[in-house]
Amino acid sequence: MLLISILASSFTVRFGLPLLLVFLGIGMLAGEDGLGRLGFDNPNLAFFVGNLALAVILLDGGMQTKASTFRVALWPSLSLATFGVILTAAAVGGFAAWLLDVKLIYGLLLGATVGSTDAAAVFSLLRNSGVKLNERVGGTLEIESGANDPMAILLVVMLTGVLQSSDSLSVWLFLGQMVQQFAIGGGLGLLGGKLLLLVLRRVPLIEGLYALLIISFGLAVFSGVNLIGGSGFLAVYLVGLTVGNGRIKHEESISQVMDGLAWLSQAGMFLLLGLLVTPSNLLTHGLQALAIATFLIFVARPLAVMLCLLPFGFRWSERFYISWVGLRGAVPIVLALYPVIAGLSNAALLFEITFTVVLISLLLQGSTVPVVARWLKVSVPPAPAPTTRFSLIENDAHHSLELYEFLVQTEGIRIPVSIVQNVPSVTVSTPQLVSLVREQRPIVVNAETVLKLGDRIWMLLHPDDVNDVAQIFSQQASSSFLLQNFFGEFAIRGDASLVDLAKAYGVPLEGLSTDDTASDLLQRKLGKHLVVGDRVRFGNIRLTIRQMHGDQIEIIGLKLQDKQV
Amino acid sequence: MSLKSLLKPELVLAKQDIVSKKRVLENIASAVSDRMHCENEAVYEALLGREKLGSTGIGNGIAIPHCRLESANRTAIVVMSLQSPIDFDSIDKRAVDLIFALIVPPQECDQHLSTLAKIAELAQSPESLEKLRAAQTDNELFDIFDSLI
Repeated sequence: MLLISILASSFTVRFGLPLLLVFLGIGMLAGEDGLGRLGFDNPNLAFFVGNLALAVILLDGGMQTKASTFRVALWPSLSLATFGVILTAAAVGGFAAWLLDVKLIYGLLLGATVGSTDAAAVFSLLRNSGVKLNERVGGTLEIESGANDPMAILLVVMLTGVLQSSDSLSVWLFLGQMVQQFAIGGGLGLLGGKLLLLVLRRVPLIEGLYALLIISFGLAVFSGVNLIGGSGFLAVYLVGLTVGNGRIKHEESISQVMDGLAWLSQAGMFLLLGLLVTPSNLLTHGLQALAIATFLIFVARPLAVMLCLLPFGFRWSERFYISWVGLRGAVPIVLALYPVIAGLSNAALLFEITFTVVLISLLLQGSTVPVVARWLKVSVPPAPAPTTRFSLIENDAHHSLELYEFLVQTEGIRIPVSIVQNVPSVTVSTPQLVSLVREQRPIVVNAETVLKLGDRIWMLLHPDDVNDVAQIFSQQASSSFLLQNFFGEFAIRGDASLVDLAKAYGVPLEGLSTDDTASDLLQRKLGKHLVVGDRVRFGNIRLTIRQMHGDQIEIIGLKLQDKQV
Repeated sequence: MSLKSLLKPELVLAKQDIVSKKRVLENIASAVSDRMHCENEAVYEALLGREKLGSTGIGNGIAIPHCRLESANRTAIVVMSLQSPIDFDSIDKRAVDLIFALIVPPQECDQHLSTLAKIAELAQSPESLEKLRAAQTDNELFDIFDSLI
């Protein structure tokens, strides 16, 4: 069944449907109402597998999250992951209680269940959809989806507990619990990550075992933290984050194994959840579920996002996009199992509605992730990058030696003479050519060697230079047309004098001070935390940030005659 | 005013043997100043001033140096190809062997921008660039450039 699902996945790219939907669909198809007639009705097992799978997915998600995106995305995503979940849950809760005519607390339980965005869905969609979002939007969505599950889980567990024991809901108790969950989860997660990093660096292992070590360590932290009353999901995400951003040996092979395992977890979990549900039951409350999904997608989520992002300098289109990519996935379905296991009276109703809401969210939002990104203009052209990377020295203090492989995507260029002539040096201050591989054979290189499409070049580089070098071997004609459209015909330095720029293009000089730079203009108009793709108008030219280094603007694209005048 | 009418045969220079960015700008300045009756030095300074904001090497081996010049009385376009590519500090780090320079008087600013955009558009077509690079003489280069605009 897993085999069929994986093979079927190659078709989904064509239809733009989220992969996860296929796994879910095939699980449903194989289930009691479908072709397979497999009767699976064990919520406990599904719950157990679901939790483990979520932990693995969060671990992998953490490993793939670049700490550099924290610069622009940390606080907004934390705001979304905490207040955002509460707001969404409250709004959906109120609406659902009214619509289904149940007690408010059941409505809130449903709201909390569908309150968090799904890390698995968001990560896989953002990475496989073919669009590159600007750092602010992409980073916020990713960190949010990794960090908001603990909040939703907490809400569901507490509401279930209240319903079970019929105690009254104490706000203080709840807040105390929340602080405890976050503190223990956060603290132990970071600590565990550091410890794991130490182990990975010190203990020699067979290459294939590193990824397994990370997984088993992650799961141990997950269950350990859960046992002592912390948020295991937050902890395991932080372990992944710490390990993924600390330079380790065999990073390439580790991340490949991790990706594979994360996919296995997702596929297995969705298959199992698909099996668990009885599709014919979904139809009984189909209309109500549709109404709740609509309310969630078009009212609750946008409302929560707008309020949570109010203090941060996001553009309106970015806010709308973040609202739209509020994908629900496996987390809500697994969460909906809590009331089932607790044996609450409306548990079946909650489960069925949650399931339908997730289906609708994946179908509607999931399939439109790239289209809406282009429409709202929050995507940026992909930057050229090396195909493979190895750290040769993984000591933090001297992490300057790395081996890269570049795929030549253009015809007729030569490797710059200066690079060919470089000899190995201690400092690696200049790029060194290691090998040129053409048609599986190494080629002797001199200054006259003309590169061909598909050549593979191996180079020793300082990590700071990798973007510049990748640029040399990148595709030219088709991609540079896109680049020119997006960034403009010319490029200027971030520290270029604004007055000189104004003079060169006939922009009125009023209000410009002589020591202003182009970066100052962008920062004054757009705020301090900028990302590639941010733009302003300057007279009749348009300035778009093209390259950044931390918070520093290095290169600005300049487009003449902006058509939007 | 069309791009065609701005193009003058004496400002089209094929297969120049120049080895540095500085020398390219100097050659452009001297060619233009002869024709436009303005100071050689002023043209060079204006072109260099624009390069200081960031290189006009736009990638794919093309550079489009340009400036507004107080003393210019009309717009001038210089088309130049080089014998061997030189370092121009381009955005894609590739060496440059095709140069289109544009010098405009201050009052024709909008004109300036649209002409520049047209030249930059031309630089997007690999076939056109191949033809321009193949031209061996000034006349050949002029005819090819003329046919492309």
